[in-house]
Amino acid sequence: MWEFWIRSLNASTIFAIAGLGEVVGQRAGVMNVGVEGAMLFGATIGFIVAKTTGSYLLGFLAGIAIGALIGLLHAFFTITLHGDQVVNGMGIWILGFGLTTYIGSPYAGPLGMGRIPTIGGLSPFFFAALVLTFVIWFVLFKTHWGLKIRSVGENPTVAEVSGINVVRTRYWSVIFSGAMMGLAGAVYALDYNPVWSYNLLMGWGFIALALVFFSMWNPYILLSGAVLFGALWQVSLNPESFLPNIFSRYIWRTFPFVITIIILVIMSTHWFSSRWGAAKPEALGLPYEKD
Amino acid sequence: MTEIKQGDIVLQARGITKRYPGLVANDHIDFEIRAGEIHAILGENGAGKTTLMSILFGLTHPDEGEIYVFGKKVNFRSPLDAIDLGIGMVHQARKLISAHTVLENILLGHPHAGAILDMKKTAEEVKQLCDAYGYKIDLNAKVWHLSEGEKQMVEILKALYRGAKILIMDEPTSALAPPETEKLLETIQLMTKNELAIVPFITHKLPIVLSVSQRVTVLRRGKIVARLNTAEATEQSLAMEMIGREVLFNLKRPDVKIGKPILQVENISVHDDKDYWAARNISFEVREGEIFGIAGVSGNGQQPLAEALAGLRKASAGRVLFENKDITRLSSLERWKKGIGYIPSEQRAVGSIGDFSLVENLLMSYYYDDQFVKWGLIDAKKIRQLTQELIEEYNVATPNPDVKARNLSGGNLQKMILARVFSRKPRLIIANLPTQGLDVGAMEFVQNKLLEEKKAGAGILLISEDLDEIMALSDRIAPMYEGEFMDILPGGSAQRETVGALMAGHKQKAVQA
Repeated sequence: MWEFWIRSLNASTIFAIAGLGEVVGQRAGVMNVGVEGAMLFGATIGFIVAKTTGSYLLGFLAGIAIGALIGLLHAFFTITLHGDQVVNGMGIWILGFGLTTYIGSPYAGPLGMGRIPTIGGLSPFFFAALVLTFVIWFVLFKTHWGLKIRSVGENPTVAEVSGINVVRTRYWSVIFSGAMMGLAGAVYALDYNPVWSYNLLMGWGFIALALVFFSMWNPYILLSGAVLFGALWQVSLNPESFLPNIFSRYIWRTFPFVITIIILVIMSTHWFSSRWGAAKPEALGLPYEKD
Repeated sequence: MTEIKQGDIVLQARGITKRYPGLVANDHIDFEIRAGEIHAILGENGAGKTTLMSILFGLTHPDEGEIYVFGKKVNFRSPLDAIDLGIGMVHQARKLISAHTVLENILLGHPHAGAILDMKKTAEEVKQLCDAYGYKIDLNAKVWHLSEGEKQMVEILKALYRGAKILIMDEPTSALAPPETEKLLETIQLMTKNELAIVPFITHKLPIVLSVSQRVTVLRRGKIVARLNTAEATEQSLAMEMIGREVLFNLKRPDVKIGKPILQVENISVHDDKDYWAARNISFEVREGEIFGIAGVSGNGQQPLAEALAGLRKASAGRVLFENKDITRLSSLERWKKGIGYIPSEQRAVGSIGDFSLVENLLMSYYYDDQFVKWGLIDAKKIRQLTQELIEEYNVATPNPDVKARNLSGGNLQKMILARVFSRKPRLIIANLPTQGLDVGAMEFVQNKLLEEKKAGAGILLISEDLDEIMALSDRIAPMYEGEFMDILPGGSAQRETVGALMAGHKQKAVQA
């Protein structure tokens, strides 16, 4: 059982880091459905750099850098060119999937470096995720920067007349968001499962994306959701040893999405919105054009 | 900045001019605002108030003219420049983020907000402002929980906290309940004691302006037509200045025999999108060959009423009869088929689909007609030919019928919409602000077409803000104010002052005059 929880928490680390990045972007009004693509870039580039240089540090930095670059690309298309966020995000996923397969294939196989030391079996990144959750919550809700980020995501017009530079705020949020996804990918490929193989992420980026909606854009709920989804993933790997003869692993894998859909339905009810307001950033998905 | 004393000139506009294609929105506007005064700027919709306001707040650049703030010439690049110089704006459509708390809204973008927000200190400072003006508001409440009056308080507090010395208010009393209005008036009078200048922009509710302001500037068709000390003005004189005396129309009203009733509306009540009462207990009838005019400033319930009659909005109570048959529950399509034509006020949002060609737009009134659509297949040739004919008949300026609707000018698009509705030979036409935003030529065309339909025996329900238009066209006039008809007057003998006063909500005084 101990082993199960360790594996779950290590998996949830990756969901949480990528999800936190996406939360910041979405709080600023920009959705990036290409989390999977950005993570694949972070995983593959991070893996290759670490393998060729033999340095974990360089590997993680490369993962973060490529993620930030993907974020910049997304920002340019959606903010500057007013492109559709969902379409562009899908583009990032497809690009990430194809390009990383091409780039990564020659490096397929284990990383072949000493494993990153754990703390009682837990990855140090798990603790990093805890700290990041707190920091991002603090920035979003206790600082002027965070207020600006949330404001451009709720109502960019109001932000503008309050003297906020909407474009700049959105750009930095989306770049940071991409960097976090890149880091999450690198953590997967360098720490969680240090082997490069075809489609190594198996859709974890989409679980992270679902997690954001599940979290109602709150970092703390996101963290607990990540733990839940991490545990569900572990169950899906070997369902027979937990709940024999109930569901196949593929059914278990749908659970994060099923739960997210249920949460979204609840959120859209009058009952919910009359008590807690619309949890979703109001301007999410909408390009901002000054009149 | 030197100390400001009561009566100092704090803002001065000289020769402000702004032109838009086919329209001079502001024509050499001069005025000055003094510290400690309430200086109302009055005008009908389309008189150029919004443009002037945008210019003063840095949202729009004037083509000509200069603005001086505290004696210094300024050139606003954005609202931020105006805010930094001490100009605050209280918007009519509240510019607040509803998911955030009151305090967060006040603090957003404040130059002295540190990297880490000091909510405690801000709350104390805002509390002091609240105490000074007798505001009671929960600073940690989310804005979407607040009433309209409270939201306005937040906007005022935000401007004051930012150090505003000149407060521009767009229709400050429009969405407020009477007690909230009283509170507002009390507060702004208090503010003037602290050397603040208050500049409310107002279209209606004249008594309120009179009761608190010291000076009034009246705008009409982009020009200043009167500068008055409020003490010298009366409601009647202001209404006259606002509306204007000159007769602009030279329409020949045809002599048409008024026939039997086509539309009978019995005690109808309508709610608006927010579930508030928009129109209450309205009864009237429209007869064959009659133009029934509803006069009123936008937002007094005309729009929801028109939508209810067109079948686009559910009536909450009451009955609608069309040619003696109850149509209250019929869908809009069933109403079109029976012979009701609707000209919506939003040409581009409701009246047409911008990305569709003129042919396709026309088809929207013909797709249910067997002559044009058989077995679900469109007779493209026939509908195209009809479009071509209508383009000629209605003088629509377009190279060909395949042009997208969005590329037509307002006037030409309205002609096309008219062509679509009238070519179905409706027995009843509901025309909602049919000439709004049109240039004079197109306006005349639309009005003449309405008269032609009248001559052909159709009943017409004309909804307009333009008093000249209502006076010139209507056989009977119903001034509408806050969801109710103030009266129903015969068009021929009604005094424009009476109608003007009624649509501004003065029942008693108008009757005496």
